[in-house]
Amino acid sequence: MLRSSDYACQYMTHDSPVHRLGAGWKIAIGTLLSTLAVGVRTPAELLTLVVVALGYYFMARLTLFDLWRDARFFVLQAVLITTLYCLLNGLSKGFWPGVRQSVQIILFYIPGAVLLRTTRTGDMMRGLRRVVSYRLSFLVFVSIRFVPFFLRELDEIMAAQRLRGARLLPRQLIDPRNWGDLFHCLLLPLMVRALKTADDVSLSAEAREFGTRKQRTFINIPRRDESAITAPEGQRPACPAEVRSCCRLGPEARKGLS
Amino acid sequence: MNSHEQVFLWNRFTLREALLLGFCATFIILTRAGLRLHLHLPGHVMFFTMFFYLLARGCVPKIGAVTLVGLIVSLASILLGMGSKGPVVFVKFLLPALLVDLAGALFPSFISSMVACALVGALAAALRSLSDTGLEWLSGMEEEVLLRKTVVTACLFALYGGFGSLAVPSIIRRLRKNGLIYRGSDRKW
Repeated sequence: MLRSSDYACQYMTHDSPVHRLGAGWKIAIGTLLSTLAVGVRTPAELLTLVVVALGYYFMARLTLFDLWRDARFFVLQAVLITTLYCLLNGLSKGFWPGVRQSVQIILFYIPGAVLLRTTRTGDMMRGLRRVVSYRLSFLVFVSIRFVPFFLRELDEIMAAQRLRGARLLPRQLIDPRNWGDLFHCLLLPLMVRALKTADDVSLSAEAREFGTRKQRTFINIPRRDESAITAPEGQRPACPAEVRSCCRLGPEARKGLS
Repeated sequence: MNSHEQVFLWNRFTLREALLLGFCATFIILTRAGLRLHLHLPGHVMFFTMFFYLLARGCVPKIGAVTLVGLIVSLASILLGMGSKGPVVFVKFLLPALLVDLAGALFPSFISSMVACALVGALAAALRSLSDTGLEWLSGMEEEVLLRKTVVTACLFALYGGFGSLAVPSIIRRLRKNGLIYRGSDRKW
């Protein structure tokens, strides 16, 4: 039985033709389908596109439940749009344009959902490295990497401030009079923590000469023979100077050295 | 920026500044993820998004700082599965970021005024709502319906964005007072 997702656009591990496609192909198909979704006008064109989009979705072995998870926000929006059309033009004249418009919007977003549901984060990261500079992709990955860290920090700060009497419980935060506590007792300390962490991480990276060269650098520890590894501390042969400097260079730069 | 620090990105930001902007992006992602699990009100995500955009501008007062935050949030949202809207995600995050940067370029000290922050926050948030409108216009939505829907969503977005931005000046003031961010004279950041 096919598993269902816990939240919208969650990656699902299946063996399907769509999963086996490269991220680039999926982006190209998605762009094409989304462009067509914006352009369709007649019922026949719309119906054809619905069949194609749903075929693409279910080809990825996703379930109806997954589709509901991905599109439920747009279904609510569809109700709003159709109601507005009916109010303006009457039920008979406003219903079809409202439905067409709503379906077009859902169809526009379905390929994006398929991409996210069938592509591993690692594959997307590899693709991203080809498109943006390594410095920018470093920042993106650092900001993702620090999500759990700052979640923990947030929890700790919240617990400590609640002990001090700050009104930070979800039911207390519904009252706008308590928003001052949210900003000054939670977000301000969090920002101070972010400043401190940025200091530490940048010092640590700069100490390893990160960002000193234009091209990306790698840590590439050269293999040493078994005796060198098992030799007692102090008697291990040191790496030659050119190998040590090579450790800090990327593959192209290493090629240039040799 | 200290004299020994090297420029890391876009001939403008040091590694420390870039990391801090990256962390602001992390906070936006965290709040977006948290809010979308519980609330279903249009525009409520702009409350924290505008707060952290303006905070980023206050902590790193350089042109392009908020655009960098917007770019990181867009890319990270796509990687984390929060970008179901595809390429529209970039427009969604970059449009308000560009507006905040533009306001920073025209009025560099706007971040210390509550009224200016609320105004910039509200305008940027309203601009963000136009990304959806653009798509609906392209797909041929009737102009009257489009206009009504845009007015309602833009007002809601502006309301949340403006409220979120109100707290920024006092937080920036406290960070400056404690010497944690760039003050203008001692140049710690």
